[in-house]
Amino acid sequence: MIDNKIILLKKILEESIYPVLPVQIITMINAVPLERLKDLTEIRLRINQPLMLVLGNQDIIINPLGKVVLEYNEAYLCSQDDIQRTLQLMSKNSLYAFEHQLKLGFLTIDGGHRIGLTGQAIIDAEKVKTLKSINGLNIRLAREVKGCADQIIPYIITKEGQVLNTLIVSPPRCGKTTILRDLIRQISMGSKMNKGLPVGVVDERSEIAACKSGISTVDLGIRTDVLDSCPKAMGMLMLIRSMSPAVIATDELGRAEDILAVREALNAGVSVITTVHSKDLSELLHRPNVRELVESKYFHRYILLSDSPRIGTIKKIIDSSNNKILWEGAKNVEINR
Amino acid sequence: MLKLIGSLLVLLVSSYIGFKMASCCQERPRQLRQLITCIGSLRSHINYSCLPLHEAIKNSTNGIYGPVAEFFQQVASLLEKNPSLTPQEIIKKVLSDMEGCLILKNPEIEVLYVLGGNLGAMNCEEQENYLSLVIEQLERFENEATRLRDLNTKMYRYLGICGGLAIVIILV
Repeated sequence: MIDNKIILLKKILEESIYPVLPVQIITMINAVPLERLKDLTEIRLRINQPLMLVLGNQDIIINPLGKVVLEYNEAYLCSQDDIQRTLQLMSKNSLYAFEHQLKLGFLTIDGGHRIGLTGQAIIDAEKVKTLKSINGLNIRLAREVKGCADQIIPYIITKEGQVLNTLIVSPPRCGKTTILRDLIRQISMGSKMNKGLPVGVVDERSEIAACKSGISTVDLGIRTDVLDSCPKAMGMLMLIRSMSPAVIATDELGRAEDILAVREALNAGVSVITTVHSKDLSELLHRPNVRELVESKYFHRYILLSDSPRIGTIKKIIDSSNNKILWEGAKNVEINR
Repeated sequence: MLKLIGSLLVLLVSSYIGFKMASCCQERPRQLRQLITCIGSLRSHINYSCLPLHEAIKNSTNGIYGPVAEFFQQVASLLEKNPSLTPQEIIKKVLSDMEGCLILKNPEIEVLYVLGGNLGAMNCEEQENYLSLVIEQLERFENEATRLRDLNTKMYRYLGICGGLAIVIILV
């Protein structure tokens, strides 16, 4: 189990993360034993602040020799050049190609790993035109964990094989995207309890399918069509019109147009599986756009995730028609397999 | 007999020099035109396809042959293999490697060098504006190079032949 985790982490680091980091940072991270890093979820670089490695719920800082230290003044402090070099490597000297993502404050690199960015926003017509003077990067490691949605599947597919409209609800870093990815794969591939269905994926942030030059680099099943880097609202309508999916999957609802598009899809007879940031359902009701979908009971199932005790823990599965809790508790889906 | 052979040799060498200089005069506007075409194509690949820089540069040479295409291909290849190098560092290296193949003068080389410093670091709109500016600059150089070509090509040829003849007459 642990060996698998370490092998997967080593693969992710070598194939996706090291190619976008400056040599001295690679050397430092490499000096930390992999056993220590097995729960690595984020690498954070902030100008004049320690290089920080986030391991699940805790974080560590390291010195220039790659030794874990406790004191801030012993740690390696990231320089502006580290950030610039990393940004240059991530964008492959092509910032213009990430213009849309940059406006939203992130880049997605090969492997579907999302890099959050902070810096100085340039505003034009009350909208963020771009970010300049980048001062912080958060490299979030995405993992493809086949089978992590095994326990959810029976609750979202009916005996007739129909996929129920499902909303995955959790705060950031609880494994929403990883579970969504596995749900897509399982619905697309089919199993003993359901036949495979055509799934359309609108991957606005290139995280679900981790497309490279438009081609998915993760296994999403044989009946899955991916619209990469396409705004959710537009993409959902495009898929409905052109690809006749039985299920549409997308990530992180939030904007008013997303809600309209979900309603459109649901009324067009297509099942929708999507995710939203929120701690629980009561908090969700305070979110202006998503609230409407919850109140109108557009979704049949709510899957609530948590990062306690581990990332990917299923807190509850709720039937929206009667607010009955179908599943709660002790079992958990551990996505860091 | 020896005088005759010597005179012929002098005439041939001086004519060769004259024709070579005339050919340089003709080659420079041709290379500048190719540069402008490639940069125009690069602008489209960046603006409409949003291709990564190395791919955009590689595609910008479609249909172009010779040293200019070779220059862009080498830049694209190095960018792909060494993402840690900046476009400016790579352009500087390729320009120095190809010294002699590209018949460009210092102001044009300076423009290419500055272009490297700004490639890939802007959004699409700014990148397009900047590349349009570079094209305008290169067009001015091209006009000047074309004027010089029209003025000097024949002169260099005649100068080569006549200069050779003059030397032969003086020596004989």
